[in-house]
Amino acid sequence: MPGTPYPKEQMHRIVYTKLSEQQIADKLSAVSGPTSVSPLADVFAGKSIRIVTDKGPALAYTFKGTKRLSVAENGAGAVETGYGALTQGSLAFFTHMIPNTQRGYAVVVDQDTNLATVFELWFSGYEDKREVQREIYYGYVEQSGQEAPKNRHVVTNRVEGKGFYWKQDNGAETLEFYPSAAYSHFVELSRLGGELGFCGPSDYIKIDENRYIYTRTECEFSGTFTAYVMDLNRIEQVGMRLGFNADDALEYYVFRGKGEWLGQLAQFEKFGDESGNPVPAAAQGQTPAKGARRVYRPLKTMAKMTPAQVDAVCAKHTSAFQPRAIAPGPNAPAASMAGNLGPNTDWLAGKSFTLRYDHSPAMEYRFDDAEKLNWRKEGGSNWTKAPYRAYESSPGVILFGHLLEGEPNHDGHSIVADFDQGLVTCFDGFLNTPYFANEAGVKIHFGVIEMEGLIPPKYRRHVLTDEMVGRAVSQNYAPGLTSMHLYSTPHSLSWIIFTGTDAGGLEWSGPASYVKIRNGLYFMYWLEEACNGTLGTILVNLRTMRDVGIGYNCGENGLNMSAMGAHERLAGQFDVRRFYQVKSDGGVV
Amino acid sequence: MTKETNSTRSTRRSFLKRGALLAAPLAAAVPAAVIADDGLKARLARLEDEAAIRKVHHAWLRQVNSMQTSMKTVNAGTGDAATPLLADSQGAALDRTVRSITADHAGEPDAIEVAADGTRAIGQFQCAVEVENPIAQDCTLARMAHAQGGGFVRQTERRVLKVEYVKNGGSWAIAKAEFAPI
Repeated sequence: MPGTPYPKEQMHRIVYTKLSEQQIADKLSAVSGPTSVSPLADVFAGKSIRIVTDKGPALAYTFKGTKRLSVAENGAGAVETGYGALTQGSLAFFTHMIPNTQRGYAVVVDQDTNLATVFELWFSGYEDKREVQREIYYGYVEQSGQEAPKNRHVVTNRVEGKGFYWKQDNGAETLEFYPSAAYSHFVELSRLGGELGFCGPSDYIKIDENRYIYTRTECEFSGTFTAYVMDLNRIEQVGMRLGFNADDALEYYVFRGKGEWLGQLAQFEKFGDESGNPVPAAAQGQTPAKGARRVYRPLKTMAKMTPAQVDAVCAKHTSAFQPRAIAPGPNAPAASMAGNLGPNTDWLAGKSFTLRYDHSPAMEYRFDDAEKLNWRKEGGSNWTKAPYRAYESSPGVILFGHLLEGEPNHDGHSIVADFDQGLVTCFDGFLNTPYFANEAGVKIHFGVIEMEGLIPPKYRRHVLTDEMVGRAVSQNYAPGLTSMHLYSTPHSLSWIIFTGTDAGGLEWSGPASYVKIRNGLYFMYWLEEACNGTLGTILVNLRTMRDVGIGYNCGENGLNMSAMGAHERLAGQFDVRRFYQVKSDGGVV
Repeated sequence: MTKETNSTRSTRRSFLKRGALLAAPLAAAVPAAVIADDGLKARLARLEDEAAIRKVHHAWLRQVNSMQTSMKTVNAGTGDAATPLLADSQGAALDRTVRSITADHAGEPDAIEVAADGTRAIGQFQCAVEVENPIAQDCTLARMAHAQGGGFVRQTERRVLKVEYVKNGGSWAIAKAEFAPI
């Protein structure tokens, strides 16, 4: 039986074990140092160095070969431990743990400048103890008889917008995108089959114009920490991975990798702004706790409801296209994602037609006016009245949506009807999904419009497309609310929230799909799975650079359907579609 | 801090400008040699009051612009920590959406009118007010914006800041502050 490259559960669905501090200690005690597929570097073998950091430890190292070192922290007694080092030109990267602790270090030394960046790493520093914590210290390697260098490696946004394909010496293949200066997005091609992309808080540190340090912590997932130095010209990396995988086995290794440049997205900060860390952990003037960082933890905060709770809350409060009940405060801007929506159209008012879906019951419609419609499934006797809104994104192409009262899974339809072609695509949102009942699922229905005076095609349909894959498009929904979509795989997208300085900040992702309506006109959805359960649907018009959309969400406040609209900007495109071609011998790439 | 500095300088310039305007007719109309001692004392008292009021006003502006403390508890910045800036915390409290107030250099000069009995005064200052309104957390994007320390909309509007001052125990304090359209 041939295997597939796909996991039993995607990362956001894995229920990672809440490892105890003792379990972590036991697993760490069995490991002497990082493993490596590539030969370890002997750059430090037989040498002693002392690294001084500005607001952190002084580390005195004696390297006894390529696998053992002794380290003394802040003048304390030296302890011996295993280590692994790899080099990339003048850069040396090494990592080690401190025996009988849950702490360790990753160190980058530039042998040309003697500048060093030190990452202190530890487990059991957060309520999910398996999540690796990190603190970054900047410093230098002490040189006898020389003054300390004044320069330091520095956090930066200079990596923002870049994207690479990486293949590590152990065979692991990833696509890694850095559309934010605080987060990153990665697609595990070899580990998970490349279906979905995921996000993690990240650090970006400038060594020089060509070389940078990157880190990622897989918060909300396994908690694994990845760090590497990358040379952007040579497209080479050396780094490490530390954490417990889905089987709770410790992964602690150094790696060497090579990659391909995938492209560059636009940055939106002011020219000259190269600052990093755009979402600092502490307010200005305050000192953050050691290791503190802003982490988006959507699964932790989302409402998790049972089918019975969903039924109850839907019965109590279901609304469509009504102002939200959440009080935003005095003088607050109106509904956040509808600021640039524009007026709805009355194009459908007074019309009647049937949407005949290929593999789903046909839906009959009568439209009273611009805000009320009547629907029934073909063959039914009773019409159901429902509020709706419609938006004409392109002449003859109408996006409209409505809830289906009385359906057992509380369906909501977001529909694009192309009256010039007689084609229709429906994103059929529904609840009572397997993981959390209030989390939306979606089915795609393709079909035709049957209407007096309109002859639909017999075989032609709207089609799923990968034409948007790799693109990044920013959306300004309202003053102060700007995001960017990165369509990173044919089956998922990532969204990035801009900060007040228009740097990319927090980022998350979810399953998605894209339907081509016309050239330059795409109907797409994304599911905020393990996030807040929303189904977002938008019709993106690349000619007008506007999108209009319908949101469908169920939470403790009830079931809600709402409209959204944004002004867009193209932010660039990564060359990634070739990585998602299914191979005849299995897998992707 | 830059805004504080600018604001202070601007207001001081406005004060000097207004002082010159006030002084000019007096100097032209009445020869200095014939000004009675009482008149000089009254004028001196008024100038001292205006200077004291400006000191209170500037300290209050610094507090507003730094936003480090609630408007209701402001009492620092005058060099005399024991002297409260606000006589009536409720009346002088600004809307919490106000993030900063800076002098409007293109506006009318500042005006401070001290009542004849020397116990009350009114000031009018044309200014640029930066207000900050939170975005409703009604969607994932807005919640993420708040989670990263943002999630608000800032805009600057030209307004007239009207301030009432009261003298208690020999010290001036702010009794009421409000904005009006220009």
